[in-house]
Amino acid sequence: MTGVLPNGDLKACCAQLYESDEVLWLLDGELHPGGERLTLRLAELAGVAPGQRVVDIACGRGSTALLLARELGCETVGVDLGARAIALARHAAGAGARASFLVGDAETLPLRDAGFDVALSECSLCTFPDKSRAIAEMARVVRAGGTIAIADVTADLDALPAALRTAAAQVACVADARSADEYVALLRDAGCEPLRIEPHDAELRAMADRVEARLRVARMVTPPGEQRERAREAAALARTAIEAIARGSLGYALITARV
Amino acid sequence: MAARGTLPTATRSICPLCGAALDAELIERDGRVVLRRECPDHGVLEALAYGDSERWRDVQRYDRPGAEPLLRQTATHEGCPSDCGICPEHAQHTCLGIIEVNTGCNLDCPVCFAESGTGHQPDGYSLSLAQVESMLDAFVAAEGEPEAVQLSGGEPSIHPQILEMLSAAKARGIPLVMLNTNGIRLARDPRFAPALAALGIHVYLQFDGFDDATHLAIRGRRLQEIKQAALDRCAAAGVGVSLAAAVERGINEHELGAIVRFGVEHPAVNGVFFQPVTHTGRHPAFDPLDRLTNVEVIRGLCAQLPEWFREDDFVAVPCCSPTCRSATYALYDGEDLVPLPRLVDVDRYLGFVTNRAVPDLEVAAALSGLFSASAAGGTERTGERLECVACGVGLPAELQGIAARGFMVVAQDFQDEWTLDVGKLRKCCVGEIVPDGRIIPFCAYNAAGYRKQVRADLAAGAIT
Repeated sequence: MTGVLPNGDLKACCAQLYESDEVLWLLDGELHPGGERLTLRLAELAGVAPGQRVVDIACGRGSTALLLARELGCETVGVDLGARAIALARHAAGAGARASFLVGDAETLPLRDAGFDVALSECSLCTFPDKSRAIAEMARVVRAGGTIAIADVTADLDALPAALRTAAAQVACVADARSADEYVALLRDAGCEPLRIEPHDAELRAMADRVEARLRVARMVTPPGEQRERAREAAALARTAIEAIARGSLGYALITARV
Repeated sequence: MAARGTLPTATRSICPLCGAALDAELIERDGRVVLRRECPDHGVLEALAYGDSERWRDVQRYDRPGAEPLLRQTATHEGCPSDCGICPEHAQHTCLGIIEVNTGCNLDCPVCFAESGTGHQPDGYSLSLAQVESMLDAFVAAEGEPEAVQLSGGEPSIHPQILEMLSAAKARGIPLVMLNTNGIRLARDPRFAPALAALGIHVYLQFDGFDDATHLAIRGRRLQEIKQAALDRCAAAGVGVSLAAAVERGINEHELGAIVRFGVEHPAVNGVFFQPVTHTGRHPAFDPLDRLTNVEVIRGLCAQLPEWFREDDFVAVPCCSPTCRSATYALYDGEDLVPLPRLVDVDRYLGFVTNRAVPDLEVAAALSGLFSASAAGGTERTGERLECVACGVGLPAELQGIAARGFMVVAQDFQDEWTLDVGKLRKCCVGEIVPDGRIIPFCAYNAAGYRKQVRADLAAGAIT
């Protein structure tokens, strides 16, 4: 399936959406399932060690890059298409942090070849229109023997209800997600050697639950009108996603591969 | 006693037939938890303790160490449950004190753990105002600043000095003073609800459902119109009400959802307490292995209102034993209802998630007050705490008003002679205050012979 929005629009839309305060509120500040705990698990699977260089693709406000620099003593670079997110990430980092941030496109990373030990993509690959190119870019910037670590929504698109294949659902990481096997095939196509797939569907369920509840309270506080109906529809969409997770056609997984 | 984290767990209980204290065991059977003991005279005796063994294990992490009461009222002689007042072995202070001011009633319910009624009772009593005042003083002495007290009976509203008694509780600075009533006086006496409003009393109204069959089975009379009239008078006077439903297998299990739906719509009602019928005092025939526990009540409610509730919306209240009480708060705006635990990671704030820092101590303190046996929906204190939580987790300002009116739903499984488990009892935080000033864990009072003893002593004039 290809994107239902023109590709450039979609990437910009995602970057803009995920840097908005409203969306951060909807997600209760956790931009991906499992929060910091799963981020650290992903870093563990990728073998991130002190002193290593790690790049976080679509880093948002930089929380993962800062977390890894702080907790694991690595040197991190965050790249995001959203200028405001990068400005906020730089502000959060302050002086002396072992993390730096760049505005850039995941499909044409502004980084030299083989400059990193690990490339991370947390809940972002699913939103990239050209996944092969994004993975090829990660493989390019990681040294031979380094690791690509992906945390993402997994979807069995054939089993997914039509409501979850719309533009709105694409931005919400669902409509253009792939199955874990397809992500692995993409990694293989980029010349990488797949290492591990670790499913974490429960964490996606918890996040969808939180978003659904917050959309319902958003409806409560929105005056009657079009906005209110949109909150109502979004909550219904979140419920459809929760049902799909329960049926196993939507999930979340950590995937690693050697470059 | 060792930590109760695993099954089987050793505990103590009594023989439901002769009252003998016995060693007992909580065991797992068919995915449920059964309390088992053997009486030398009456053989093996078993009762359902909790309807889901997996959930039982999960909620044990809520078994937080209790707070020290200011006073120990009795010494240890024979061991639990034979030494009540608050004895040296008791592991919790008293969140909620109960005073039964009389044994007389204007109903003769087929279900009554207090064995009250309209007829002459040879061991019946009606306490004086002075007695109730001294009991309140004893409660204050034991607690310092008690959180909540409930005047009960019998039917306390027919006591001629009930307003003075409620006023005496208020005068001692107790923030939540409740009247446990069947609502008949509220419905009939137009001055009663305004008098309660003037004193700031919260009403705990028996409300078992809507079907005539339910009323007849549990109360012996069709009471729906009386309940409605009582609630409407409370609404008009500005009195907050919690509905208290006695729930029995095969009688009103199917009305759980309807009671909550009715409650959220009625302007006087701020919460519903579902209480599986305790098979002590007067009660219908029952199967101790097929009784209702909080698990069955919560599942029943979720099955009847799937668009609003699911099982994990209910938090095991940590002050008492975690299988005693589960509660939630719900945000309702006339169209939709969202349980608070979906918006706030309660476990994280209350410290039940290991390796994660408590994000905000003020919010944690507020949640701890909300998930306590001393809380009731719609009270000033509950409103302040909900406001604090809503603000602390960044809910929009417009929502904070809705959140502060949070509707409370509770499942509360009291123990009887069949289910008495000393491990739970030692952690009990609902105390029956008796005329000599002792505070006796409510379930021990009902199930371990104290009620009969106190009534006999009062009838004999041993306590004045």
